[in-house]
Amino acid sequence: MKILRNPKQKKVLYGIGLILLAAFPFLITNSYYLHVCISIGVYILLATSLNLVTGFAGQLSLGHAAFYGIGAYVGALLMLNFDVNFFLAMIASAVVSGLFGLLLGLPTLRLRGDYLAIVTLGFGEIVRLVFVNWAEVTRGPLGLPGIPSPSIFGFQISGRTAFYYLIIVLVLLTLFVMNRIVNSGVGMAMQTVKIDEIAAESIGIYPIKYKLIAFVVAAAFAGIAGCYYASYIAYISPTTFVYNTSVTILAMVVLGGLGSIPGSIIGAVILTLVPELLRFMSDYRMLIFGALMVFMMIFRPEGFWGASKRVKNIYKIKAGGGKNGSDSGDNQRHN
Amino acid sequence: MKRKALTAVFMAALLAMGLTACSSGGGSTDSASESDTIRIGCAIPLTGASAQDGQSIQNGAQIAVDQVNEAGGIDGKQVELVVEDDKGDSSEAATVANLLAEDSTISAVVGHFNSSCTLAGAPIYNQAGVVEISPGSSAAAVTDAGDYTFRVITTDAVQGRYLAEWAVNDLGYQNIAVLYENTDYGLGLAQVLEEAMADLGANIVVQEAYEVGATDYSTVLTKVASSEAEAIIIGGLYNETALIAKQRSSFGLENMQIMGVDAIYSDALIELGGDAANGILLTGYFSDASTSQVAQDFIAAYEEAYGEMPATYAAYGYDAALVILDAIQNVGADRAAIQEYLSTLEGLEGATGINSFDENGDVIKDPMRMTIENGEFVVIE
Amino acid sequence: MFTQQLMNGITVGGVYALIALGYTMVYGILKIVNFAHGDVFMMGMFLGMFFTQSLGLHYLIAFPLAAAATAFVGICIERIAYRPIRVADKLAVLISALGVSIFLQNLAMLVWGTETHTFNSGITVQTYRLGSVTLSNIQIGVIVLCCVLMIVLYVVVNKTKIGVAMRATSHSIVSAKLMGINTDRIISFTFGVGSVLACVAGILVGIYYDAVYPTIGYSYGLKAFAAAILGGIGSIPGAMLGGFVIGIVETFGAAYISSGYRDAFAFGILIIVLIFKPSGILGVKHVDKV
Repeated sequence: MKILRNPKQKKVLYGIGLILLAAFPFLITNSYYLHVCISIGVYILLATSLNLVTGFAGQLSLGHAAFYGIGAYVGALLMLNFDVNFFLAMIASAVVSGLFGLLLGLPTLRLRGDYLAIVTLGFGEIVRLVFVNWAEVTRGPLGLPGIPSPSIFGFQISGRTAFYYLIIVLVLLTLFVMNRIVNSGVGMAMQTVKIDEIAAESIGIYPIKYKLIAFVVAAAFAGIAGCYYASYIAYISPTTFVYNTSVTILAMVVLGGLGSIPGSIIGAVILTLVPELLRFMSDYRMLIFGALMVFMMIFRPEGFWGASKRVKNIYKIKAGGGKNGSDSGDNQRHN
Repeated sequence: MKRKALTAVFMAALLAMGLTACSSGGGSTDSASESDTIRIGCAIPLTGASAQDGQSIQNGAQIAVDQVNEAGGIDGKQVELVVEDDKGDSSEAATVANLLAEDSTISAVVGHFNSSCTLAGAPIYNQAGVVEISPGSSAAAVTDAGDYTFRVITTDAVQGRYLAEWAVNDLGYQNIAVLYENTDYGLGLAQVLEEAMADLGANIVVQEAYEVGATDYSTVLTKVASSEAEAIIIGGLYNETALIAKQRSSFGLENMQIMGVDAIYSDALIELGGDAANGILLTGYFSDASTSQVAQDFIAAYEEAYGEMPATYAAYGYDAALVILDAIQNVGADRAAIQEYLSTLEGLEGATGINSFDENGDVIKDPMRMTIENGEFVVIE
Repeated sequence: MFTQQLMNGITVGGVYALIALGYTMVYGILKIVNFAHGDVFMMGMFLGMFFTQSLGLHYLIAFPLAAAATAFVGICIERIAYRPIRVADKLAVLISALGVSIFLQNLAMLVWGTETHTFNSGITVQTYRLGSVTLSNIQIGVIVLCCVLMIVLYVVVNKTKIGVAMRATSHSIVSAKLMGINTDRIISFTFGVGSVLACVAGILVGIYYDAVYPTIGYSYGLKAFAAAILGGIGSIPGAMLGGFVIGIVETFGAAYISSGYRDAFAFGILIIVLIFKPSGILGVKHVDKV
């Protein structure tokens, strides 16, 4: 990684990386690989957005799939029932998901830690049950088939290659926005809140504000991911937006390294690829996957791109949360 | 930070490329051996809530493949079943569909099981031009899923209406309780029953959903007990039906008639339900009491291979594979030719009856009536 | 119908309460949520089935054996998956627990297959009619056992020597160690007891519904977890109360409003209670200090 220190060489490398990403569909015509790459892209959106809430603002959320689902349903319903253009539908998905993010963020006024986690879990379950039971609108478990592909200026985006470029654009956009937030005053305030809410308050950072910002932004990006997914698969049903999906996204964030954007990307890549690579041993693959999660946490709890990988950190905080409770969490650290 | 992010994107790209490079290397060996095997995909849930049914389908399809291979294969080529797990989840199904559609050595696909998975996979199979034959998706929406989407199971409408007519016209029930699982399957069937009952002039007095894998039915059964219902129609599968049958006696409903469609046909219903399963009435296409020679051969082969009686979905899995094998025997392993052949297929006898497809790729066959007597399925003439 | 539904709710609630006791004990000591507890419950069921059906033992011998085996599973989970990372971040423990949960489910699928099994314990379910209400011996067993076990646990934690050690460990592991308490042993003991309770709940569910399958732990685990939090996690009477409340609320919600939303009622009430009283009904309020 030494060459990466030199900014010029770095730029060249990024250039090559981007060109490779852009050229990918021409080099690889296998649509399964493209599909896997697209799935990775969707999960990068989901993981980086959850990372904002859990990694940066320190709020454990087990209901991220709900926002993904809300985005998917809002987008799909607008496109199916009102012939709304994909990109407008995507904005609407982001807005509606964001509003629900605000709603879920409100309990953080009073709750934290495991309590918040269970509320977000409950929220996720309730949203799923609404998808299942509000059959007049969502067609319930039957799902919504035939969701149209996006079109720009009359040009129809269809086929995996076009969707691949679209997700690349969305991923770059998300990474750009996330980077700007994280490196701004807002992002720093979020990290302060994560370390110690009371201390943050004492230096004039209003914790609730930053927690809410994190929830709303994260939900909005998950909504965008949902809308994209709906259009790409052309069919959505409640089975996709379940607790397991939330857990998978959280696992990506934690395995990648909490509070690290590259970490979330790596987490998304690895957790999408590993089950695919283990496909040949179908009976054992989830067994191995579970064991891998445990061993990863034992031998590398800071994640793939955790603290040791990070050169500079304004607060010198340990990645992976450091101390997050104030009284009860503390007494176990010396064990 | 931003640079790091870009580095990560870059690394991700490299990783993905490395992966594709090594796996496409593996792929080329596949195409080299293409000449001496015919490969059929089998995309079914092997983990998750429907794993049991997925396993049945795989077993059934394997029997059909084994039978062909034992008879010397097709044109001297052995047939291989390529099994992929879709977890019963529509996004995973899309991944599996891409995987199978992209592999040009796959001639056609048996799958998927859940209607949601079939629908998620349909655009991919249709775009790639691969026939998918669903052994278990009975939802109405599958009808319009595309030219390459077929199924060997009839729609909910066919069986649901048949069952409703049996209950109302022949058995004289006027007040019906419908208990259905809260999935695409259960809801679809419940809707069909609702329409059919309205047409027949009978009332649905209780209509309640339950979650797949639920163990406690006390709430819904208490509601049934305090209603006017004369019979319970179940829109779900055998496990839950067995539990409902068993638990009904605790609520004074031991004489309540339970009815269902072929989704409840399984030895598991009798095993789990015990004595409570006796007297359940069901419609279906497959039964171990069937007089069809194809069905009897299938049952014998299945019992020998797996040591148990085949469930309905095993028979559907067998039929789906059988239809594909029949096409390959007649027109070869070419994907488009298989589709063309199947679109006009008529009168192929399988374990679940005579298979013919209509213009939408839906199968046309007549259900039979069954009941359980002393722990065995019996066909009612 | 009302009284019958109430009885139904109490029975389901009793099972939730038994599982919730395991969650609450582990949380009380370690301040971590053992997300794999629902799957320990499932393992308890399968082990109960294994000892009675596969080995053909009488249930009076088989069930204590199953409980011991489940306790062993629980202790192993703690030793392998939690102990090395106890000092690390809570999230690491959470992910590790999720990993254990996936592992156990798939292990059960490999060993026993994905199909639903009958439990066949040799105990027959008998139903009694009291006016318009029917009750079975197992239902009564669930409720009675639940109360007895809660009282026993309460006494153990509050009146015995090991209970004192548990409370000390829960207060501060470091100070407890300084006082000469073998905290590792106390933690193992807690996991063991929690797993035995899960096994008891599993066996009761097995006998009552006569059905066992590998993913059964998920929904029971989730509801029990909700029950533990609702009652005030860390509080033994709270777990019990939470279990009954969740059981009754979901039964009435399903009976009188919509059975499709059954699970939503449980989580809905949980969220509402937590927003107004974040520490749960009987929980102790923590004050954060800088």
